[in-house]
Amino acid sequence: MSRPLVLLAALLFAAAGLAPIALMALQVSPGDFGGLLDSRTVQLLGRTLLLGIGAAAVAVLLGAPFGFLVARTDVPGAALWRPLAMISLILPPLFLAVTWTALIELRGALATILILGLNTFPIVAFFTAAAAGRIDAGREEAALLVGGKRAALRMELPLLLPAILCGACLAFVFAINDFSVPDYVSSVGEKFNVYADEIFATWKIEEDTGEAVLTALPLVVLTMLFLLPALALRRRGALATLGGEFKRPAPLRLGRWRPVALLFCLAVVAASLTPIARLFWEAGGGPRPVGWSRETMGAAFGRALELSRGDVANSLVFSSIAGLVCVVIALVLGHAVERARRGRLFEPVFILPIAVPAILFGIGMIALWNHDATAAFYDSDAIVVLLYIGRFLPFALLLFSGAVASLNPRLEEAGRLAGAGPARRLFQIVTPSLLPTLIAGWALVFVLAMRELDAAILVPAANHTVIFRVFNQIHFGRDDFVAALALLIVFFLLLPGIFWSLFARQRVEVMP
Amino acid sequence: MTDPAIELSGVLVEMGGEPILGPLDLTVARGEHVVVVGPSGCGKTTLLRVVAGLARLSAGVVHLGGELATDGHRLVQPPERRKIGMLFQDGALWPHMTASAHLEFVLARRGVPRSARRSRAGELLERVELGTAFEERKPGTLSGGEAQRLALARALAGEPELLLLDEPLGPLDAELRLELARRIDRIQKEQDLTLLHVTHDPEETAAYQSRTVTMLEGQWDDRGGVKE
Repeated sequence: MSRPLVLLAALLFAAAGLAPIALMALQVSPGDFGGLLDSRTVQLLGRTLLLGIGAAAVAVLLGAPFGFLVARTDVPGAALWRPLAMISLILPPLFLAVTWTALIELRGALATILILGLNTFPIVAFFTAAAAGRIDAGREEAALLVGGKRAALRMELPLLLPAILCGACLAFVFAINDFSVPDYVSSVGEKFNVYADEIFATWKIEEDTGEAVLTALPLVVLTMLFLLPALALRRRGALATLGGEFKRPAPLRLGRWRPVALLFCLAVVAASLTPIARLFWEAGGGPRPVGWSRETMGAAFGRALELSRGDVANSLVFSSIAGLVCVVIALVLGHAVERARRGRLFEPVFILPIAVPAILFGIGMIALWNHDATAAFYDSDAIVVLLYIGRFLPFALLLFSGAVASLNPRLEEAGRLAGAGPARRLFQIVTPSLLPTLIAGWALVFVLAMRELDAAILVPAANHTVIFRVFNQIHFGRDDFVAALALLIVFFLLLPGIFWSLFARQRVEVMP
Repeated sequence: MTDPAIELSGVLVEMGGEPILGPLDLTVARGEHVVVVGPSGCGKTTLLRVVAGLARLSAGVVHLGGELATDGHRLVQPPERRKIGMLFQDGALWPHMTASAHLEFVLARRGVPRSARRSRAGELLERVELGTAFEERKPGTLSGGEAQRLALARALAGEPELLLLDEPLGPLDAELRLELARRIDRIQKEQDLTLLHVTHDPEETAAYQSRTVTMLEGQWDDRGGVKE
């Protein structure tokens, strides 16, 4: 691998992803430690744990059976249900909170847990399906001969378990770091304070950066406690991968359980699509006394486009650029993590921006760049792109390092013997072999950046994004205009997936 | 007297503190064809990777053509400068490249002008009896035998002085095995190549005019001796 290239990529990552965190760590003074474990903090820790474990449990209960059913069985319509269920993850959690609280009279802890469980179950489903899809026919047939379907399932479960647990750990991390759902659920009913919104409140009210960092410390520890096992499990998930003469097994026949499995899949997909249906209903004036009409919906979309054209364009441009930059940096670093000796030791450093609460990351960006000397940059759009890169580069990096791990190292060695240098091997052998994963990485960063609110809410330059406008409007009362704007965001979030399914011949295969 | 093509002295490779190869010595003369026979997992592939500079040594020295190539941990000559062609066990063909692109990629690295690459690639394909009809075919569309022949053409494209073959006939049926073995023998003689060749199949050695050495658990097996 090219050392100058890796060094340059590492420097860019450090500037975008690590510098704000390092600066935040330096803000803490010894006096701040006083309130670290007071009764209020312990209470918050308990509530945050409850939220994380609850949401992860919901995610596993829905995602694991769903992922297995659509990947390995003859449940009708599996190819259709699989992408549709992913919509729930793509939607900003705030939209789920807004729509589900309008539909069901649930509030407080239970509502927050269910909403974040619904938001994160596709992670578990995706990981389970990916691992199940890589179980070799030979292995399964050997188990079937020994003891039929039951033996096959017993053989497969240990292969799927690391992927399921890895998904559960990530669902936990996503849930405890989300600020928008507890914030919104608390605003419409019983208050349910967790760490993420407490950090925001601490900083917003007292502007005490040191205390905000200290408040976040248990959350960072908690996140790392779940992220590090997730990384280890992700590698064990590769057990389900077989090289060489891989043969995809025939779908398992569900027999008389087929209708039950279909009903389950339909229910899961319906839960994923309900928020979109609700937004359509609201955009057409459904909640108003006159009821839903196509004219109202057309007018709402017209108004949304007219008033928010600039914000929509900003979001699209910022997210697209962040995606492109992340792909290049993450490819170089992800490759180095897998191929360099002791490269994996650096993985915990690379995931730090995920472990630090987004709100804290936003405060770090302000502390880093809000100075006279950097005022021009701080006020420019470039800081928004940098924030997105810093926050989401680790996701692309994890995706790419997983993909490099599944790439036969002999391909690169053959290139080396042919005389190709490190950069040429990376860009002419590795890159084309991983093209679908690179596109998936771009789409992942694009989607995450389009819906990013938690950190961007603090940075003034990010106030001109479409998701921020929706957040503001929702708190000032909802109407058809906001629903139409939310649907526009949903459309742009789904766009990469739609393009991929229409024009790409390959399916995106990524390592969990 | 010319220097041997390969000279390994006290070569040792360890994994997790346990030796997986050696310590062992080996000398291969220029133009010689040496076949290393041994069961799966005995260290044959590691031996080839040591010669190619792709595996790290724990101890020992590797000389290629009389020049120091590896000295313990230190890689004196990187793999790309060793004038080595290698036929990997699984082919290691690049899935996104056509047959012609595989060869042009190697030729470009060896400084062959762009204008000459296409015709040279065609010649190489002819040489392994794939023919120009295969120029635009990608590895996914090739049969096992065709893929191995393309891998052989790629290994030859860099005009190596030393060819390393890792179970080259492994994935092929009996007829194709014989055919490819004859081709390898013929190419070796035509180009006066030095060949280091590993296989788990003792019968495979009968197809070549070669010296055979036996390996067991990372060591030369004295009981098997050396067969001319």
